Amino acid sequence: MRVASLLVAASILAAGCAVPLDPPPAGPAEDGGPPRQGGIFRLAAAEDPRTLDPARGYDTVSWSFEQMLFDTLVRYDDAMHVVPDLAVSWTTSPDGRHVSFALRQDVRFSTGRPFGGADVKYSIERLLRPAIHSQGAEFFHGIEGAMDYIAGRAPEVRGITVPAPDRIEFALADVDPLFLHKLTMLFAAAVDRETVERVGDEGFTQHPVGTGAFALAEWTYGQRLRLVRNPNYFRPGLPHLDGVELTIGVSPQLAWLKYQRGELDLAGIPSAEFQRVRTDARYRPLILSRTRLDTQYLGLNCDVPPFDRVGVRQAMNLAIDKQRLVELIDGQGVVATGILPPDMPGAAPVPGYPHDSAAARRHLEEAGLGAGFETTMWAAREETTMRLAQSMQQDLRAIGVTLRLKPVDFPALIEAVRHPGMVPIFLLGWEADFPDPSNFLTVLLSSRTRDTNNNTFYTNPAVDRLLDEAAPVLEPARRFALFHEAEVLVMHDAPWVPLFYPSGTAMRHPRVRDYRLNPLRPARIDETWVAG
Amino acid sequence: MIGLGSMRRSRRLLTAGLVLVAGLAVLAIAAPWLTGYDPDTIVVTTYRGPLRPDASHPLGTDTLGRDVWSRLAYGARTSLFVGGVAMAVSLAIGMTTGLVAGYFGGAVDGSLMWIVDLVLTMPSLLLLIVLATVLPPSILTIPLVIGAIGWTTFARTVRGEVLTLRERDYVLAARALGATHGRLMLRHLLPGVLPGVLVLSALGMSGAIVVDAGLSYLGLGVPLPTPSWGRMVSDAQTYIAVAPWLVVAPGAAIALAVIGFNLIGYGLIDVLGRRQG
Repeated sequence: MRVASLLVAASILAAGCAVPLDPPPAGPAEDGGPPRQGGIFRLAAAEDPRTLDPARGYDTVSWSFEQMLFDTLVRYDDAMHVVPDLAVSWTTSPDGRHVSFALRQDVRFSTGRPFGGADVKYSIERLLRPAIHSQGAEFFHGIEGAMDYIAGRAPEVRGITVPAPDRIEFALADVDPLFLHKLTMLFAAAVDRETVERVGDEGFTQHPVGTGAFALAEWTYGQRLRLVRNPNYFRPGLPHLDGVELTIGVSPQLAWLKYQRGELDLAGIPSAEFQRVRTDARYRPLILSRTRLDTQYLGLNCDVPPFDRVGVRQAMNLAIDKQRLVELIDGQGVVATGILPPDMPGAAPVPGYPHDSAAARRHLEEAGLGAGFETTMWAAREETTMRLAQSMQQDLRAIGVTLRLKPVDFPALIEAVRHPGMVPIFLLGWEADFPDPSNFLTVLLSSRTRDTNNNTFYTNPAVDRLLDEAAPVLEPARRFALFHEAEVLVMHDAPWVPLFYPSGTAMRHPRVRDYRLNPLRPARIDETWVAG
Repeated sequence: MIGLGSMRRSRRLLTAGLVLVAGLAVLAIAAPWLTGYDPDTIVVTTYRGPLRPDASHPLGTDTLGRDVWSRLAYGARTSLFVGGVAMAVSLAIGMTTGLVAGYFGGAVDGSLMWIVDLVLTMPSLLLLIVLATVLPPSILTIPLVIGAIGWTTFARTVRGEVLTLRERDYVLAARALGATHGRLMLRHLLPGVLPGVLVLSALGMSGAIVVDAGLSYLGLGVPLPTPSWGRMVSDAQTYIAVAPWLVVAPGAAIALAVIGFNLIGYGLIDVLGRRQG
């Protein structure tokens, strides 16, 4: 008992020693003045971006820097509308299979070379070359002649034509309502052919040259990434910043301390500090937050007993206390009620599952599993994920289900869930590539994607039929109605336990202005500026 | 032997160690009666960060809203279990190897000590991490792995003792009277090495607790949600400025447990050493 009282005494002593929250860095007052030119945007990250070659990057960090260096024909504005970027305007033929773009004539690469339609054609053909191994290639398989080009049967993609330097036209094998959305992805960014030919495909990630607001000045691996303003950038007066400096090898905790000392312009808020920061009047105006097209879910493998039974899967949905999970992520998100995040165009309320342990138990009894069962959940070996997992472990214990946890590294998790019959339950999230319901429903829940992204191995012919029917429909109301019908069926069959829709959160230095989070893409900084 | 002054002082050390370890044992055994909550159950209705220590939660609540005092008390079970099993495994392998090697000598000794050297040359932390990752997670995995790596000290010490003991007159006499190998080892040599083994066991126990805490800290310890002190420290480390008690309580518990077993070990060295000498 002496031990116990010693411990209690030590802890009470320690409780008195909680360190008060340091103030945020000081900065100029918000006076609503015009944007100031100049200044370096200071960022920090634990690791280097995976790549700066737009043909290869498919993660948030790579994309955030790629979009400083490169432009696409079209892009998303903050309200997720497709707006012109390198293109001025576009027309789609009545049959929906031909899309024609008029291009800006004032665009130059950062090397000074003028940009034209041939550069877009070159960039997309480069992406499609099998030697590049681009994860984005499949998005452009629908262009006429793309498959012949990939197979080496044609020297070029005949569906991409450049009738004049300031025009480019795409012919599609089938109607594709998502084609414009696909062109907003960094995969379709215009890369400088001269540089690629000079440094080679492998060297391009170290020497990326595009038409973007910034150009790469230095990338010392593991230490520093420096971008400077592109003097040839086509938007007059932009960017406001002189450059961007990323310090690499900084843990999130260290980044937070550096932010508090005023050494960084942007930082994530550590979970430990979130409650204090949110209630602190000095910090509150500096918090940036917005919902994203992201659903975190528990995947139930429909091929692995007992999850091959609908009743058991519904019981899992009823057993999990999603409100608690949102509390555990400090309220940075909302409880999920369906597959599609609420900001997704076409998302409408679907019958979901309340938190009801008694009903969950009844479902298990009806399935003959009244005595409960044991199963294993795979999840990323990461602090927050483990907290969420333990919370669900307790929810399931209440209905007699023993959940063992298998913490693995994230790449191993992604790999494991693809193997049939390997993972009974997993904890994952999905962030939309484009604002269209198909990006969740068709990509993750159709029987045709069982060997790629349908990791719950869910199969329902009725759902497949609806998804196929919706795919070519251009008219939004009808398209969304079909997807909604499919989502209702999926929710009934319950291959997922949708948990929550997380929001993106960051903290800005008070000198940072016009930095806006985007629901679909990393934030753009061409219009961002720092007050003096 | 470590010079610790008078006999009385070493006895005092031994007593202090025994008191600490006894306290730990009481905590582990009586955990259900000493705590008001289940260690794995989330007890807060709404989670808004860890709660400060108060009357109902003497050590506050953790980053999931569980009672820290309950987790600490039940964590004593984990630590003692892991330490005990690891020590028993080390003892069984190490003592057998040491006895056999020391008693038979020659080629048997040579080859067994070669194995000991081999195990010693392997980077133990790396080996632990690999084994803890590859083997299926269970409450037994970690202590078995720690035990299976930590037995070499037992083997070497026991072998050394046996090498001197086997030349003693009473052993030679027993041998002359026709005692079998087994009888010689178990009846005549084993009792002679026990004092040394006792000391090593106490030290091994504290070593195993530290290793378990280290592995848990790396996220490789006993499976979640089983409370474990090392895990509690690692889960709370980012909260050290906000909720220092979350780190201090399990950290102090680890320190006290290790100090307790070490005091017993060093106290025994002194007490037994004097008695023999």
